[in-house]
Amino acid sequence: MNRTLTLARVGFSCSLFFSFLFIANAQTPQSAAPPAAYAITHAKIFTLAGAPIEDGTLVVRGGKIVAVGAGVAVPADAQVIDAQGLQIYPGLFDSVTQMGLREIGAVSATVDETETGDFNPDVVAATAVLPSSEHITVTRAAGITEVLAVPASGGMDSFGSSGFIGGQASAIHLSGWTINDMLIKKSAAMVINWPSIETRSFDFSTFSVKEKPFTEAKQEYDKQVNELADWIERARHYAQAMGHSGSADFSDDVRLQSLVPVIRGQLPVLVFADSARDIRNAVEFCDRQKLKMILAGGMQAYKVKDLLRSKNVPVILRPVLTELQERDDAYDRLLTQPTELAAAGVKFAFASFDNAFARRLGQNAANAVAYGLPYDEALKAVTIYPAQIFGLGEQFGTLETGKAANLIVTNGDPLELTTDVRYLFIRGQLTSMDNKQLRLYEKYKNRPKGN
Amino acid sequence: MNRSQALIAAGFLVLACSFVARAANPPDVPPAPAAIVIQNATIMTVSHGTIEHGSILIQNGKITEVGQSVHAPKDAQVIDGEGKFVIPGIVDCHSHIAVDGSVNEGSISVSSIVNIAEVLNPDDINIYRDLAGGVTTANILHGSANAIGGQTQVIKLRWGQPASKLPFEGALPGIKFALGENPKRSNFSFPGQAKRYPATRLGVEETIRGAFTEARDYQRKWADYNKRVAAGDKSASAPRRDLRLEPLVEVLEGKRYVHAHCYREDEILMLLRVAKEFGFKVRTLQHVLEGYKVADEIAASGAGASTFSDWWSYKVEAYEAIPYNAALMTQRGVLVSINSDDAEEATHLNQEAAKSIKFGGMSRDEALKMVTINPAIQLGIDNRVGSIDVGKDADLVIYNHDPLSAYAVVQKTLIDGRVYFDRQRDIAARPDLEKEKKALTEKEKKANEKKPDATVEIGKKPAAKPDGAKPDASKTDAAKPEDKKPADTAPDKPKPPQADAVTGGAL
Amino acid sequence: MRSAVNRWHTFALAVFTLLLLACAPTALRAQGGEPRYFAIRGAKVIPVSGPPIENCTVLITRGVITAVGKDLTIPDEAWVIDGKGLIVYPGLFDAFTDVGIPAAPAPGGEGGGSGGGRRSQGERANGPEDRPGSTAWRSAADEVSLSDKRIETWRSAGFTTVVSAPKGGIVPGQAAVLDLAGERAGDLVVKAPVAIPLNLQPLGGFGSGFPDSVMGVLAYVHQLWIDTEWLTKSEAAYDKNPRGVERPHYDRNSSALAEALEDHAVVLIPANNTVQLRRSLVLVDRWNVTGVIYGGQMAYEVAPEIAAKKLPVLVNLKWPEAEKDADPEDKPTLDTLRFRDRAPSSPAALAKNGVKFAFYSGGISAPKDIVKAAKKSIDAGLSPEAALRAMTLSPAEIFGVADRLGSIEKGKIANLLVTDGDLFEEKTKVKMIFVDGRKFEPHEPARPSEPPKGDITGKWKLAYTTPQGDEGSTADLTMSSDGTISGTVTSPRGTATIVSGYLSAGKFSFTINIPIEGNPTDVVFSGNFENGALQGSLTAVGLGFSTDFTGAKPGTLSGIANQQTMHQVATHQIEGDVR
Repeated sequence: MNRTLTLARVGFSCSLFFSFLFIANAQTPQSAAPPAAYAITHAKIFTLAGAPIEDGTLVVRGGKIVAVGAGVAVPADAQVIDAQGLQIYPGLFDSVTQMGLREIGAVSATVDETETGDFNPDVVAATAVLPSSEHITVTRAAGITEVLAVPASGGMDSFGSSGFIGGQASAIHLSGWTINDMLIKKSAAMVINWPSIETRSFDFSTFSVKEKPFTEAKQEYDKQVNELADWIERARHYAQAMGHSGSADFSDDVRLQSLVPVIRGQLPVLVFADSARDIRNAVEFCDRQKLKMILAGGMQAYKVKDLLRSKNVPVILRPVLTELQERDDAYDRLLTQPTELAAAGVKFAFASFDNAFARRLGQNAANAVAYGLPYDEALKAVTIYPAQIFGLGEQFGTLETGKAANLIVTNGDPLELTTDVRYLFIRGQLTSMDNKQLRLYEKYKNRPKGN
Repeated sequence: MNRSQALIAAGFLVLACSFVARAANPPDVPPAPAAIVIQNATIMTVSHGTIEHGSILIQNGKITEVGQSVHAPKDAQVIDGEGKFVIPGIVDCHSHIAVDGSVNEGSISVSSIVNIAEVLNPDDINIYRDLAGGVTTANILHGSANAIGGQTQVIKLRWGQPASKLPFEGALPGIKFALGENPKRSNFSFPGQAKRYPATRLGVEETIRGAFTEARDYQRKWADYNKRVAAGDKSASAPRRDLRLEPLVEVLEGKRYVHAHCYREDEILMLLRVAKEFGFKVRTLQHVLEGYKVADEIAASGAGASTFSDWWSYKVEAYEAIPYNAALMTQRGVLVSINSDDAEEATHLNQEAAKSIKFGGMSRDEALKMVTINPAIQLGIDNRVGSIDVGKDADLVIYNHDPLSAYAVVQKTLIDGRVYFDRQRDIAARPDLEKEKKALTEKEKKANEKKPDATVEIGKKPAAKPDGAKPDASKTDAAKPEDKKPADTAPDKPKPPQADAVTGGAL
Repeated sequence: MRSAVNRWHTFALAVFTLLLLACAPTALRAQGGEPRYFAIRGAKVIPVSGPPIENCTVLITRGVITAVGKDLTIPDEAWVIDGKGLIVYPGLFDAFTDVGIPAAPAPGGEGGGSGGGRRSQGERANGPEDRPGSTAWRSAADEVSLSDKRIETWRSAGFTTVVSAPKGGIVPGQAAVLDLAGERAGDLVVKAPVAIPLNLQPLGGFGSGFPDSVMGVLAYVHQLWIDTEWLTKSEAAYDKNPRGVERPHYDRNSSALAEALEDHAVVLIPANNTVQLRRSLVLVDRWNVTGVIYGGQMAYEVAPEIAAKKLPVLVNLKWPEAEKDADPEDKPTLDTLRFRDRAPSSPAALAKNGVKFAFYSGGISAPKDIVKAAKKSIDAGLSPEAALRAMTLSPAEIFGVADRLGSIEKGKIANLLVTDGDLFEEKTKVKMIFVDGRKFEPHEPARPSEPPKGDITGKWKLAYTTPQGDEGSTADLTMSSDGTISGTVTSPRGTATIVSGYLSAGKFSFTINIPIEGNPTDVVFSGNFENGALQGSLTAVGLGFSTDFTGAKPGTLSGIANQQTMHQVATHQIEGDVR
């Protein structure tokens, strides 16, 4: 990319004083050798692993944080970023997105999110994550450095179904030439869309709603849950069989195979459910089947918070800025839920659930704070908590030595609407915040008047 | 069926019908006192800067004094503004709340015959929820299923009042136009139905030109007739009144505003051309996500722009949407507002406006204008609302924090000097409502136990549940994928809720 | 049962003959040697038009009340009925129903999402000019048929008079006042047309054709009234001077509406909830018609406003109640609960505010429940007198027939209800009914001889085979404690109300009456109700068509049992894998 252009673009988002530093970015070929190390100095550092450090220095090398503290020495080979008046935070972690899988929502050709059929444990998000997706650059400009790309997480197949076992979610860095650069964890969770008792269904042949009696709906639901149980059961036997796979006529099965880590408790299930009943049923099911469950959605989690607490089920919360579903809900029902869950000791993270709105991650966390959630909890719920929930707590989510250098340098509170991200580090690289939208802005800002 | 249809269905089924008996919850609104004084608050007037530790005097629903200090009568009700922020009531220039039934007459490409004003539903809970988000005035628009849509109505969010009390007195009526993917139905189709004309942007233009050509002839016919009658011609027979063309004639005569849903730069210019050809003005371009590309042309036409803060990529015509759109158009001299198009989005329009401070470096004052005075000007009601000035309606929002931040919570919302929303009142009322609900449920259970065969009359569906019973597309902006929520794209009118089901055995 | 119909087509002739026989009993009961002169002596008479008279006599001569009073001289020709211990009421009046009109395939409006108007699916209306869902020319007076079993069941419950209208669409047709007895269909018609009922809900969903929204329906009706007036004017003008003027086109709907309005037919406007009720007050002004509201169940909210407009209200007695077999966790909202709780208090509110109102059955399937439902409004504060008036004189006044119906007065039509006690008492029995001076005993529908074994209430899926192949219907049954079954049966050709039915011990029987080849025909479902399933046969009476059917309640298979079976399957497959 042309350097002068870069400068121009940078010029808008922060003062030119800093802009000369914007040389390296993810798109820079390795040949252009980025500096061996970076030292960010004179910053207020929010490590989220202790009290904030005033006038601190953070040193990045080999993709990791190698030093962080007040009196840290600046290595000779380090490129220095004077962050006087700025603040350093871990990069934000959006743990439910369709990053790289959904480009233009309405155009199925650009969407590889939800495979058809009810049981697809073998499909893996990373397979189709498009590294050049415009969503990646737009999203990271908002200070989000890593996300989970989650199949079957809202979209539907061409028959209007999102299936039951949706496939494997992949954790990725929001920077890299190829998926190999980007990949954090190919298989971070197995997606399950929990079936619910549907007395209403939408009939496309008449574009109208069909109603059925509860007993009928319940029967269908039971059938679906039994199918799920059935798959788990088969995976168990399959796992056993793999043991003595010497036996001649043992035949491999890709789907059952991909469920083995699930039944062995090595791979968590990310279960999408919103109503209290669905959540209850899902938790009891996973408990019975000894599956490691993470709840996604949870619009009525507050109704079952004790159960979630007692079974240690963490929750990835749908945005608090989501339309309420019941008329009698208090108008702030979703806004106060995080406070309620935190008080009950339920661990949760915020997520966008839609990459077109990923940049609202901070806004949602901040709104929860406005309605009572302690600020630190909100900050952790978009950094270290999601990392821990998906078993990445050792590598991400705080600013500690040895952790991946995915971090942001801002001019203020990263959850606030008006805060600018001044510097963005992903995998230890100073990463450009250039993106399609910024380019269009620059282009049309400079359109000659009246032409 | 394609994927977006699947999304349509998905959202469709989770959205509960908001048609209800009356303001069951939240609590009823107490009447307005003769005088209210808001004291010692940070007052963001929009028209003349910010007053620290200022006061506002409200008498008979109007603002009578604003300043460091005011002369409040002794009996005035006092609202302590210590540490609070006051802004003018938020004006939402694109809303679909408070509508009984579908917001789309989706059958025909020119549905100017229908009028939102006739189907206002004052019991839509979203009125209250948006009120709780600081919205006091909303432009209730027909959906975007048609090149020329239905007639529209500006309302005040007077929760608890009958439909007749919602319309904004004296606000000029409007009509919805829609260009691009929705009227040409790019993203959905009806099984077993032929594609509707228009199916291209080319056809959209001709649909509009065709309708206005008819309207012009219709206008002439009546002019001739009236001339003959005036001249005492007894044999003159009146032309047939055509309710479809009358509103279009009003547009030609400047008596009705055009609010045009649009996305792409080409269709924006197309409409401005057509408007010029027929000699009418486009009052607002709605969504106008590529407005930044033709900002000079929009500014020159005098049309206002009402857009989203940061929505993008949900369909092709939204793929070049940028969060800098509002700032860029403003820089080029376009009058810009930020709208919701969605009941939930409307609850935080103050936050959406603030995003232009980050995206495009807009000033705080300019940002706040985009949800107050600018939409008020676009709707021709700026003489009544949009800023905190003496003589204007006392439509005010009181926050506990800087409203251009994500941490601000609305404490009170006033319309005409009446506190229609009060956070404390709302919280206090919750236990009672729960209690009443419980009691009624118990009562019902007992009644049914007492008389086992009293259930004989219980009919087949849709008896029973007026609300929640049927998903409702009442927020539908015709396969309106510009809504982030699939729910809102559900293109269907559900069966009427029980309370509507009056027909019983007859009919 | 569409496919079966095709087969039955060949029976058209047979049907016709059988149909005559089928009608005969009705006729015979009401003619022949029967006297046309009656004297009910020494009964308590409730004239409604005046105060009750104890120990009073009513003379009936050839269909007319000739005298009402104490110690009248009884003419020799009169058949004297000892009225001791009996109460004589005016015959009850169901102010809005379709009793007497065979359930003809409705012109749209019925199948929800399916297109609109009288169009087959796919064929769509493209504007008001296509007159969607409008058959204003249809007339209850022309379509009334003696073969509607409900004529008898309604009459047996004390109803001598109804206002009936064709069903379906936005403008279904013209309503008539009918007496519920006669030898020929025409005998039933007292006055027609009396009303033009409207339905203001869209015919179908989004994209189903104009109009597919509430505002679209309103706009259509606005235009329809405008066109009606304009066409009448321009036709008159054209007749005067056709030369050089474009010929006004004929519009079947507009001309029918114009004529009905000339005959002073009122316009029935549906409005049940607050928003609709308030809207209807605006609509009558805009349309400039004599309006009558029907629905009115939320009148407790807006009675004073209705009173101010002096608009009469037909109150739907089918009170809102909890849905059967609803999702237990799908809790009703507070306003729903309030509505269900308060709806029956609407009549009291209307009475208090001096609004003229009448009751209608609103789709209550068992007529004996209509009076029960009225009783609920008495429990909710309405005076019994007002309740009775709402089922007698008030509807007569609203529909302009109070000069001949609605009260017990000299010279009025002899429509009487004779009971052994107060009408609103549970245990009160109907002893006899007079329609146009003809005496009828209440015909008791087939009664269960033994108490029912189990409860047949619920939604059933019925499966049977016709010569054309397998078919299914759903039966929505409600059994009262004594075993009486009411409800509906929905088959591919629509929904039919059960006219009679019972569960006696383990034996069930219920009958619907549906048009086959245009001729209303009884279809009887009967058989055994055992371990939660129905087993039996359905018979089309007089068509010699009968077939076995089974009925199952969806969901009766328990989840657990289900699970086990599933797991057997599972294990089996697994063994397959392992071996």
